[in-house]
Amino acid sequence: MQKATVVVIGGGATGVGILRDLCMRGIDAVLVEQQDLAYGTSSRYHGLLHSGGRYAVKDAEAGKECIEENTILRKIGRHCVEQTEGFFVRTPLDPEDFEGKWLEACKNVGIPTIPISVEEARRLEPNLSPKIQAVYRVPDAAIDGFRMVWQNVASARKYGGRVMTYTTVVGIEQTNGEVTGITVRNTLSGVVTKIACEFVVSAAGSWAGEIAHLAGIDVNVQPDRGTLVAFNHRITSRIVNRLRPASDGDIFVPHGSITILGTTSASVKNPDDNVPTAKEVVELLKIGEALFEDIHSYRMLRAFAGTRPLYSADPNAKGRGASRGFVTLDHAHDGLKGFISVVGGKFTTYRLMAEKVTDLVCQYLNNKTACRTAEEPLVEDASPALISKAKQYFPAYGTELAASRLGSEGLEKVVKRMQDNPEKCQLLCECENVTMAEVEEAAADETSHMLSDVRRKTRMGMGTCQGAFCTFRSVGAVDAAGLAWGKDTQGLFKEFLQARWKGIRPILWGNVMRETQLTRGIYEGTLNINGAISDEGK
Amino acid sequence: MSKHHNDINPDSCTACTSCISHCPVTAATRKFRGPKMMGPALERMRLSQDDVEPSLEYCSNCKNCDMACPSGVPISTLNMKARAQYFKTRKQSMRDEMLGHGEKMGKLISALPAGAFFANLGMQVGKAFGIMNAIGISDKLPLTYAGTSFIKQFKELKQTSYPDKVVFYPGCFINYQDPQVGMDFVAVMQANKYEVIVEEDFVCCGSPLLVTGYLEECEQNAKKNTAIMKKWTDKGIPVITCCTSCGLMLKQEYQELFEIDGLAENAKMLYDATEFLVNLDEKGRLNKEFGAIEHRYMYHAPCHLRVQGYGLPALDLLEMIPGLTIENADAGCCGISGNYGFKADKYDIAMTVGAKLFETIKESGVDTAVCDCGTCRLQITHGAGVKAVHPMSLLRQAYEAKK
Amino acid sequence: MKENDVIVIGGGFSGLMAAAVAAKRGKKVTVLSLGAGTLSIASGNVDVLGYDKNGKPVANPKAGLSSVAADHPYNKIGQKSLEEAVQFFLELTKEEGYAYKGSLDQQQWIPTAAGTLKPTCLVPMTMDTSALKNASKAYIIGFESLKDFYPHLVAKNLRNMPGYDQEYEMLMVDPKLPAGRDVTNLDIARWLDSAEGRKAFVAQLRATIKPGSVAVIAPVLGTAPSHAVRDELEQALNCKFVESVVVPPGITGHRLRIMMLNHVKKLGVKVVEHAVVTRGIVENGQCTAVVTEAIDRERTYQAKSFILASGGFYGGGLVAEPGQAIEPVFNLPIAAPTTQEDWSNFQMFSNEAQPFEKIGIAVDETMRPVDADGKVLLNNVFIAGRNLCGYDFCFEKSGNGVAMASGYKAAMSV
Repeated sequence: MQKATVVVIGGGATGVGILRDLCMRGIDAVLVEQQDLAYGTSSRYHGLLHSGGRYAVKDAEAGKECIEENTILRKIGRHCVEQTEGFFVRTPLDPEDFEGKWLEACKNVGIPTIPISVEEARRLEPNLSPKIQAVYRVPDAAIDGFRMVWQNVASARKYGGRVMTYTTVVGIEQTNGEVTGITVRNTLSGVVTKIACEFVVSAAGSWAGEIAHLAGIDVNVQPDRGTLVAFNHRITSRIVNRLRPASDGDIFVPHGSITILGTTSASVKNPDDNVPTAKEVVELLKIGEALFEDIHSYRMLRAFAGTRPLYSADPNAKGRGASRGFVTLDHAHDGLKGFISVVGGKFTTYRLMAEKVTDLVCQYLNNKTACRTAEEPLVEDASPALISKAKQYFPAYGTELAASRLGSEGLEKVVKRMQDNPEKCQLLCECENVTMAEVEEAAADETSHMLSDVRRKTRMGMGTCQGAFCTFRSVGAVDAAGLAWGKDTQGLFKEFLQARWKGIRPILWGNVMRETQLTRGIYEGTLNINGAISDEGK
Repeated sequence: MSKHHNDINPDSCTACTSCISHCPVTAATRKFRGPKMMGPALERMRLSQDDVEPSLEYCSNCKNCDMACPSGVPISTLNMKARAQYFKTRKQSMRDEMLGHGEKMGKLISALPAGAFFANLGMQVGKAFGIMNAIGISDKLPLTYAGTSFIKQFKELKQTSYPDKVVFYPGCFINYQDPQVGMDFVAVMQANKYEVIVEEDFVCCGSPLLVTGYLEECEQNAKKNTAIMKKWTDKGIPVITCCTSCGLMLKQEYQELFEIDGLAENAKMLYDATEFLVNLDEKGRLNKEFGAIEHRYMYHAPCHLRVQGYGLPALDLLEMIPGLTIENADAGCCGISGNYGFKADKYDIAMTVGAKLFETIKESGVDTAVCDCGTCRLQITHGAGVKAVHPMSLLRQAYEAKK
Repeated sequence: MKENDVIVIGGGFSGLMAAAVAAKRGKKVTVLSLGAGTLSIASGNVDVLGYDKNGKPVANPKAGLSSVAADHPYNKIGQKSLEEAVQFFLELTKEEGYAYKGSLDQQQWIPTAAGTLKPTCLVPMTMDTSALKNASKAYIIGFESLKDFYPHLVAKNLRNMPGYDQEYEMLMVDPKLPAGRDVTNLDIARWLDSAEGRKAFVAQLRATIKPGSVAVIAPVLGTAPSHAVRDELEQALNCKFVESVVVPPGITGHRLRIMMLNHVKKLGVKVVEHAVVTRGIVENGQCTAVVTEAIDRERTYQAKSFILASGGFYGGGLVAEPGQAIEPVFNLPIAAPTTQEDWSNFQMFSNEAQPFEKIGIAVDETMRPVDADGKVLLNNVFIAGRNLCGYDFCFEKSGNGVAMASGYKAAMSV
């Protein structure tokens, strides 16, 4: 039986943040995640590292946390953060009197706001609508959810942290009002095992209610679904927020080669309800017009949705009405010692949430080690020597991206693969510039069990063609390298393309329709990965 | 803002690879990563990162990718814009400086007494001493200058005045290197009762500047030419070119690259000479008094004509000449692509690209090829060893044969 | 000049087929084409009908015809025209020196780069599988550095395919290409276009390939519509090659395109490249001309009849917008689900066709567009290819089959 002092439930930003913090303070911890790391809300949001401007008026406390954590994450997670800055833009549709209130609130919270002229703003961001009326610069930034999660894990592993993915919790074991362990089921193999532990920390986000329920405890987490749209290129190089009370469709965030528009807000029963609808997308685009007039001519890549884990002590508060602050619930008060839930909050404050939870665990363990997660960078920078060596192998526009994703250690391994086998310098994913060597490296990680896991680690398949070409190449390459997880290749094709399809279906028009027909033409028409094969084959 | 300006983005690309199958440079060298990669794929990266992709210099801007694309992506223009971006922070080589500024050289030479003689001699001397190769210009292709520029010759010419007028945009190649084409064009227009106006203030269309990364200079030229053309097109007088690359630049690339008032309006009144004459025929106004030319020719359609989307009007015209037989070589790009084939390190690529055309012409046994583009004609003569003439020269010959 | 008997809008397979047929009938034909169609990205086989509407394999394409839905293009084209079209096409390929093999009476199951088999009807000789079927052992030939063909994947899956359960041995050829871009099948095909490439290929395999054997290979036996490369290599190595189908670039499709273009040009067809047809000029149900729009200005092309072979959504012959589909040239009515969710199935791959693939133009038996009541909308406009309604070519494997037959039928109707 596996053992650990602490089991962390949930492989999102908060969970991995807790894992890292625990391990850095010398506590033996293992993390279990029901799907892949960053499968849930941590990758299903717009990827905005808030300056706090969005919350300043309504929730000063959340605003203050944001600006403080924003400053910290820029430092420790510089490979996950694109320091883009942000604009708050008032359009003719927005209430004028909000502007003053907002400026005042930002000032109180400590968020710097710098007014600039509309002309200057449009010179910097030419796609902005000419109708906009006022613009302020704020220290927003873009943050890559996948990468942030992975790099937390990489850091935690250095301190002995362990991670089990595709592992769902089916029971929380207790004796005499104290946690003794958990029972988990591997969702791929179906095997059920137990992990003995002293503490269970639930950082399950929207699923926190379900986890608590396993221990017979009520935690009122209301999943709130937000739908977002990813565009094919960088239509803005800064974050653009609507200067109005927080509402639907008012944030654009550039991420590397793409831009994300979000979000909607709708209470849902099921935290797994992450299928966006065409109606939501059409509405988002309509709203987005106020900031970017030509929005309908920009090509979309996909729509996606995630559920915000809104927590409220008041079970009637819903949607944006609920607080975005976070709460640490020590269920010792509910009669179960050793069980802690952390609920609410937002990506920007994940580290702070982790720190608070870890502090609590440390209190129980009488561990006096100070938290260092605000000082120590997640991954080591690749040295200039390694970067210049990598440049000999990576194609143009590939090295910096890979170095940011992989950190020093990972980059070194990928470069080694390339050195040993120069043909692996070739791009499997030509849209997002991902090499065969990096795909193999990601496929070989113990947390990878299918191609989508490789995608989340590398961005392979997340660009223009959404897997039309790289699916075949990746299946071929991992199979040739003996890394195909013992799965049949038709299944690998289908798993990957179906995952892409989920986000494409709601936006099946324009160029997305065209790309889809190409993809089907290749896999269904030409490679026939779906059709029954007749006995008359011979 | 012109309607097409906003379309210079990679959004319609489905990564289908059709451009790769049709790119002649990709077929000729492995050093070029191909139009899809260099254009739409990397464009997404260029917007968020700074890096150097050496293979960008291999695009010849021949536009076969644009023609093959089922999605209407202006791939070659994306490449040219990227190249200009690259040179914003870096300096071009002396070779590119020279090739990009052919007009400067032409002007200099034609201003000198016997300039062309010495210039051509200079080229020979340069070749003998390896100077050309040293600065990166291939010494294998003949880069010769005419004794008297077209503008000078035109000034001496007495035209019959007619109420119908056209403005002729000669372009650098006709003006400095092959003035006879311009003179033949004037004769053909005169035979059709048109008076030809030539503006001395026209400057180089900018095509050689664009491909060597001088986008800002190119824009200056575009502004000058646009203003001059607008003066005439406002009056309803068409502007005519006999060089398909100049025509493409003036009509299309200006609109794709720049925001200048009057571009779209000018473009409506801009014609290639052959299309203009075919249109005259449709109106029943073409002078069809052609004398016979008992000769067999092979026609090469320049890529920069094909991409303009109105077919091959030169063939329609020449087929009207009694006795003349002409066959379309239909063998793809000749390889020269403006000044691409003049670059020493691209010379072999250009010759490989053109190999099929040269072979087709040689196999046909003709002694003369016909082509609307000046540098294509140079390349054909160089590669296939036959004379190459502009369609206007044959038309003039046919009119004169009737007299 | 711009006056024609027939103007074909679209230079894909259906358009070029229509142009060839019309020209053979003595018509003066101009093709207005935009882009290279889908030919150069596809595999160049003519699939006629591989599966019925439930995804059950049909024994042979002709027998399968009776199983298709009422609004399927084959029901408009008719079996007789389909047979004639096959005949016409096979003769055309022979004339061009790049003969295709097959008949409506037999399904051909050919190997794919995924190691599956796909049903098709007409294939170039390079994809003839008869030698493979009779072999007890076969080779899979791969190329070092080639990123678009994985011999292990092919071998591993192919041996599980009914009738292909023989032993496979992988052989790797190193083309030793000069450094540069990533290696695709097209690079290998171009290498084998060259005499040095073929020489090196033979030299590397001569010692290992047993005389009289069969080898599955990516479609790399030259880029030209010719069997010369295959013949030379087969002769030199005394073996048979079977080209498989792969991801784009579709070299075999490119060969088909070049062959079709060569053929129509020989027949005097004019092909205007890069021509964007934006609208038709219609008076009293009769189209008099179509208009192209370039960046400079519009141009008008007159003809007696028009064949609209402008492709489906992919080719731009149809445009998809949220909840509606548009035919941009003649603004023909297109029936489409008004709710976006009804356009597609939850699963990308399942045992049913995708509704969005079936969206298209409804026609009568002469391929003229009709409204919902079956009334002919344009008397002299005929529809061919992917813009027709009622079929999902990926699901049922009928892509080039419908293109070929509808192009034929449209050209016979002008």
